Amino acid sequence: MSIVALHTQALVLPEAEGYLDLLGRALQAARLNSAFPDRRQLQSSVDTLREGLRLGVYGELYVDARAGLPNLASFTRVCTDHELAAASLARMGARGELEARKDEAEVFARMAAKHTYLERLQSLEVAPVDHHRVLLRRHDPASGTAAFRIELTKLDASGVYLRLVIELTQVSSLWRRKVVDLEADGETAAASEGFRAMVYRCADLDAETLFVRLHGVEGVQVERVARGVIGPALFSLPVGGTGGAGGVAVRRTMEAPDDALGRAWHAWSLGVGAAETERPELLVAFATDCAAGDIRDEKSNDPVSPLLAERLGAQEGGRYRALRERYPFKVFKDRKFVATPGLKAVVQGVCAGAGTRNIVYDLRPG
Amino acid sequence: MSAKANLDVLNRQVAYSGEGISVKSLETEIHQERTVQDGKVDELKGLRARNVEIQGAMADELKKLRRFSDYLNGAATKGGFLAGLKEVLSYIPGLKGLALSQRSIEELLKAQYHLSARRVKEAAEYVDTLKQSEQDLYKEIDRINVKIVEMAKNERAALGYVLELKAVQEQLKADEQAAEAGSVEQRDIQANADKVYAKLAEHSTNVLLYGSAEERYARLKDNTRKLAETIRNLANDIQQYTTASSIKLDMASAQIQAIGRAADAAEVMLEMKRSLDVMTESMNVTTQFVSDTQMFFRSNLDTFIKDLETFDETTTGLLEENLKKSRDIEEARIKAAIDKAMARQASAPASV
Repeated sequence: MSIVALHTQALVLPEAEGYLDLLGRALQAARLNSAFPDRRQLQSSVDTLREGLRLGVYGELYVDARAGLPNLASFTRVCTDHELAAASLARMGARGELEARKDEAEVFARMAAKHTYLERLQSLEVAPVDHHRVLLRRHDPASGTAAFRIELTKLDASGVYLRLVIELTQVSSLWRRKVVDLEADGETAAASEGFRAMVYRCADLDAETLFVRLHGVEGVQVERVARGVIGPALFSLPVGGTGGAGGVAVRRTMEAPDDALGRAWHAWSLGVGAAETERPELLVAFATDCAAGDIRDEKSNDPVSPLLAERLGAQEGGRYRALRERYPFKVFKDRKFVATPGLKAVVQGVCAGAGTRNIVYDLRPG
Repeated sequence: MSAKANLDVLNRQVAYSGEGISVKSLETEIHQERTVQDGKVDELKGLRARNVEIQGAMADELKKLRRFSDYLNGAATKGGFLAGLKEVLSYIPGLKGLALSQRSIEELLKAQYHLSARRVKEAAEYVDTLKQSEQDLYKEIDRINVKIVEMAKNERAALGYVLELKAVQEQLKADEQAAEAGSVEQRDIQANADKVYAKLAEHSTNVLLYGSAEERYARLKDNTRKLAETIRNLANDIQQYTTASSIKLDMASAQIQAIGRAADAAEVMLEMKRSLDVMTESMNVTTQFVSDTQMFFRSNLDTFIKDLETFDETTTGLLEENLKKSRDIEEARIKAAIDKAMARQASAPASV
């Protein structure tokens, strides 16, 4: 059993390294644009976790059992190591001296390895657990309006890693209750605590719902809400030995989401195909979700997330349509995937079932 | 020249290993060895200062967690719900004075978790530093052991030579008595007796210096070993505690993530309290430990330093005393050396 705490799986070498290798290459293969969390930062964190295991600085990797991604403890581990790296390296002294004494005692070999780990880490920019940013897009003193862009990168409570971007315009006459404070220099801005908290709490809502929610805030005109979500990642990693059905024993995502993709993956992972494979397999989803006034056609090309209107019953649907008439915007949802050969058919099956046409990038096992 | 006494012994060079010894050189060498120990003691003092600093920071974190926990438990809301939570929020950096609804509790918990994880990591950094110091000290013990063996061999060589000189001295005395008073032969014997006496004085001093050095290096080794063992025990304790704390924090992180989505709802307050309790327990364990180690440092390190200082005064006093000894006392020393050499010869006739 690889669940070690609530929604937490522990992976150890060698499967942990195989998992991180696949995940790192999946991030590269996904061709992520600015709608998603910064790919390089996330890649740095994944590479650092892998390096930490390889060098023996850490003995295990904690993964969220639902999202299949490194969890809060793993993200925080990299962040705190990064914060303490400079001071730790200063205390350790030169790596050459530690390496020269490797045979003297175990501690010197361990410190030399940690030195290598921290030295590489300190020059990297790692993925934050949470990161808020407010950017001023336009400021027109004559009309008293200012346009802002609010960005939130968050390791969500559901275990996925997401980026939320909100573009809005605020009218100065209503700045008594302003959601964004424009600094005296007219160039920098910060969201008020209340608004910031609301955005943070609502980050797991889809763009459509969030758009409607924010439009209700006085003095604010929302122009665009966009989300880019990395995850879930569904994996199956051979660990050696034999499984119950005579196949290869594997570590797999233990608590995959209960949606079409999760169910299809679950069926595959318990089926003959998965049991017999000796290769590590990984499937990662990358979803985008945008609600804005300038979208031409409203559509969901996401096989696991239809439009809100399609999910509502007749009565709620009527009320929702009335609400939408007040806020003219359209929604576009999409999802692309990166999959190893064994899981490509699973994704294609889910997409075909939902009637969507999605990009599936190939991920070759290393 | 005497016909009976073998004066070749006067021209023979005694093979002492090392660079020769004098009161000054011995003092210099011991001082060098002591410098290593002093360096390690200074490192421990530095660690003690940092220990106190971390203890203060951890106590602050613990206080916040306790207040959070008390608040969720309903024990800290004397001034009402809002006052209680405002007070709790005021412990979080940057949140003093903010209204109740203005921050996500999920975000606060994650920030607090980050701080706690960082504190535990800072405490764990001690382990490698201490283990490195321990190894340095064991390396020093090896070097001191070489010195001890060298001093013991040199003392043995000095003792052997003193015995030979004593035999020649006695022979010269006999020769002098047999010679005609005031004759050239007697003057020659007396001149050689003076040379023998001078050699005896020189090598009797060596007997004492090498003997003293051996003893002092042995005591230095004991102190170094004591210091190394102190450091090893401390490192093992810290490793045990921080590993346990780190594991508990990792488990707490899972709970925070799991309840995060609903953390601002009243129904999950109990879940949150459990999560906080795990964090509090983790911080408790580490804080108690840091407190314990602080007491350990206070009670043991000071005593240890004091011991070292006493040792210093004693040895320095001994050397100063040696320097002041007069010719009369030197006589007694020669006699003591000869007695010792003879006693050694009697107990181990095969050795020289």
